[in-house]
Amino acid sequence: MLPDQVYPPAEDSFLLLRAALAEVRETDRVLEVGTGSGYVAAGLLGRAASVVATDINPHAARCARARGVAAVRTDLFAGVSGPFDLILFNPPYLPTAPDERMDDWLEYALDGGPTGRATIERFIADAGRVLSSFGRILLLVSSLTGLNDVRDLFARAGFVSFVVDEEPIEGERLYVLRGMRDLCRMGA
Amino acid sequence: MRKNLMEILCCPVCKGELELTVTEESGEEVLEGTLRCAACSVDYPISEGIPNLLPKTACED
Repeated sequence: MLPDQVYPPAEDSFLLLRAALAEVRETDRVLEVGTGSGYVAAGLLGRAASVVATDINPHAARCARARGVAAVRTDLFAGVSGPFDLILFNPPYLPTAPDERMDDWLEYALDGGPTGRATIERFIADAGRVLSSFGRILLLVSSLTGLNDVRDLFARAGFVSFVVDEEPIEGERLYVLRGMRDLCRMGA
Repeated sequence: MRKNLMEILCCPVCKGELELTVTEESGEEVLEGTLRCAACSVDYPISEGIPNLLPKTACED
């Protein structure tokens, strides 16, 4: 039973876990950012060297810990240094106008700002700090968020990205983007 | 949190190292305690096994 202030696992969570299970290696140090209920992170327990999850929402951090995941309450990865080999994020991605805002913990899980990309921009800008040299990122995005806009954000931050899984749902299409450092461009 | 989590935690503001003080533990699991950033002179609480690394100015529950 989840508290009503925690995002319950839905199609986007199921898709991200499917992609993560296909991606994860036994030696990976895994971080899930904004874990919510902890559903995705818990699904990788025993499949990786370590699994850590963060959430800014105290109710979510408690849920994730109750699932056996090492939980840290922090904003994205503000309080972690890494390095991590696999970083997962199902971000708040819904374009949200200021007058639609609900101002509670669930809003953090949904509200992507006017473009739907406000939190994704912060995530991509800081991801390199905690990602190992050959680390991979799996980021859930929606057609509502703008797939190509998000790929541009990755490119500008020095990452290559491509779609590794996708799924249509009602009124939108969900994608999992895999991002890695563009090693060919490093030092260029 | 397990004590080995310290390896991957940092101060959320300056990204420096944190110093662990345990007030309640169960085996390797720290249940209550503090994480201190000496550089910032700030203590972050560990409560019910969960470190809270939100800067004090961030919204509280």
